[in-house]
Amino acid sequence: MTTQTHNSLQLAIDGFTPQSAEPAWLSELRQDAADSFAALDVPTIRHEDWRYTNLKPLLALKLAAAAPARITPDDLKPWLIEGADEIRLVFVNGFYDSTLSRIPALPQGVLIAPISQLLGEEEGLPSKLARYADHHAQPFTALNTALFTDGAYIRAGQNAVLETPVHVLYVSTGGQINAPRTLVLAGEHAGLRLVESFVGLSGDVRFVNTVSEVMLAAGANVRHAKLLRDTAATHIGWNEVRQDRDSTYTHHSISLDAQLARHNVNVMLAGEGATCTLNGLVLGNDTQHIDNHLIMDHMRPRCTSNQLYRSVVDGKSHSVFSGKVIVRPGAAGTDAKQQNNNLLLSDDARAETKPQLEIYCDEVKCAHGATSGQLDPDAVFFLRSRGLDTRQARNLLTYAFANDVVEHIKMDAVRQHLEEVMHERFHGLLGE
Amino acid sequence: MSKPLLEIKDLHVAIDGTEILHGIDLTINAGEVHAIMGTNGSGKSTLTKAIAGHPDYTVTSGDIVYEGKSILEAEPEDRACAGIFLAFQYPVEIPGVSNMYFLRAALNAQRKARGEAEASGAEFLALIKEKAKLMDIDAGLLNRSVNEGFSGGEKKRNEILQLAVLAPTLAVLDETDSGLDIDALKTVATGVNSLRSPERSFLLVTHYQRLLNHIQPDFVHVLLDGRIAKSGGKELALELEDKGYAWLEQTV
Ligand SMILES: Nc1ncnc2c1ncn2[C@@H]1O[C@H](COP(=O)(O)OP(=O)(O)O)[C@@H](O)[C@H]1O
Ligand SMILES: [Mg+2]
Repeated sequence: MTTQTHNSLQLAIDGFTPQSAEPAWLSELRQDAADSFAALDVPTIRHEDWRYTNLKPLLALKLAAAAPARITPDDLKPWLIEGADEIRLVFVNGFYDSTLSRIPALPQGVLIAPISQLLGEEEGLPSKLARYADHHAQPFTALNTALFTDGAYIRAGQNAVLETPVHVLYVSTGGQINAPRTLVLAGEHAGLRLVESFVGLSGDVRFVNTVSEVMLAAGANVRHAKLLRDTAATHIGWNEVRQDRDSTYTHHSISLDAQLARHNVNVMLAGEGATCTLNGLVLGNDTQHIDNHLIMDHMRPRCTSNQLYRSVVDGKSHSVFSGKVIVRPGAAGTDAKQQNNNLLLSDDARAETKPQLEIYCDEVKCAHGATSGQLDPDAVFFLRSRGLDTRQARNLLTYAFANDVVEHIKMDAVRQHLEEVMHERFHGLLGE
Repeated sequence: MSKPLLEIKDLHVAIDGTEILHGIDLTINAGEVHAIMGTNGSGKSTLTKAIAGHPDYTVTSGDIVYEGKSILEAEPEDRACAGIFLAFQYPVEIPGVSNMYFLRAALNAQRKARGEAEASGAEFLALIKEKAKLMDIDAGLLNRSVNEGFSGGEKKRNEILQLAVLAPTLAVLDETDSGLDIDALKTVATGVNSLRSPERSFLLVTHYQRLLNHIQPDFVHVLLDGRIAKSGGKELALELEDKGYAWLEQTV
């Protein structure tokens, strides 16, 4: 649209050149995505799905094109997760860093590699990449598809199970527009565990625009955690999930830091008897703005979905939760639960909650609930009456509120890591 | 004669601008057990909250002196660290905080405030095991969130477990006996009796005489409309049981 031709995002597309020569299918895909982006409007707050999240400042940013940078093992250290780094892929500004990455011998049927190394025919990427997330409908998916530099490819073939979590670290170092991309393919009865960390090493204002596509064939099981820890970033992520019959997908979206973040999670329960769990935690402070936008699409009968999102907002921070559950005609036996709880720690913090149910089928169970409030004064007094000071009492209650999300993470190393992070944030209570 | 531990002097307490206690005088010496009885709404819980320092309960005049010093300006946590403990009439549930974790945090906060060494993991574990056994609390309850999903009796026993672990100098029990069956009542009484010592004093708020069959008080006070209507020895409780509160209302 003419009104947008000079925004920072269009400029990034116009100025994009790949680092090395690309196969024709990829150039064509990028061109198609670029055309879509130009045709789609970048949403404004007049757009119902973006009412609370204003992208105007983003369009005005001066953003450099993504470029590789060297970082040291010490730079990476704070973001590693002890016990979950045996397999790790590190991308700096969206470019693969082979020296910091580790890919050990993998079980039969499992392939883990940067997408950039698989652009030939053998892995069949032309028919797999950009197949699930729709760049014709979503401007930020179009933007990522036009600009993405590299990302993690994780595939487990039929019956292949990888118990060891794969840690994908997307590191940003400067004031750039970074577009990493993840593709996860779990074959029939395959099992995968994945942690995506989005981290920032500098205070430069930047934009990270990411797309993850996760495909689960019948009976597959994928556990997926996303950790956002980039104080300087505007982060827009699209996580597209497609589940075939009897598959199980568990997602934990943990927003520890971001200037502005929008997490879109779009799940298609496309096969009978699939199970999906989406959990999320937002820890907001200062003027941070974190928006979680979920769509759970029950397309087939007897699928189960469960959403638990919590936010803790302090300072002048702002959290938004919008969760839509769609139950299609014929999706009988649907069991959908949704819960959103927000804890306001200051008078200036805000939490928006918007549950939506679209039910086109009888014989379904749908439950949702939302709460927003401050710490229970009786609980604070109770703890103080036992000797904890006000700060300790509030921290302990806040930790407990947030931990209700974290304790559901079955990837032990990730859960323990986050418990430590939260302890630190809420001041080590037992002093150890 | 032993030293006064707590001296409540002409205490007036208001909630939201409404005066609830209209001048309470009460002295508890070290090692004594005092019982406070009274009808619902007479101000018993208000008195206990004022002692513990609840911010919603405003002392409009009078004083609370503990170990010789006024504590009116002391924060609730400072009072706790000085050895004042309140077992709540309605214990609050704290989802997500395990009983063990909470108790250790509380114990160590108090020890730290008193300049004592914090309890190590092993020391704490030994202590809590011993006290849980005394209170007939099974290990499952220790690992659950504080009071969450506990039965009424479990909540009350959990309050006494905290009392046993924190070992205060002044223990105020607000209707810990209400809603307990006879076995639970005996367990609570056994717990309290095992903690009696020449240095430790108790203020037992109760609505019924039966608790006092198991915990022998040195003094009984009857609270009526925010005032102490009558004080006496333990025989006063029996007399009340016999004649009912109406008897006192007429005599005042
Ligand atoms: N939080 C409160 N706000 C307003 N009034 C209260 C509050 N708590 C207690 N009261 C009033 O104070 C009086 C004494 O209450 P309370 O101390 O709880 O009595 P008791 O414990 O003897 O049953 C009652 O009339 C009660 O309605
Ligand atoms: Mg009461």
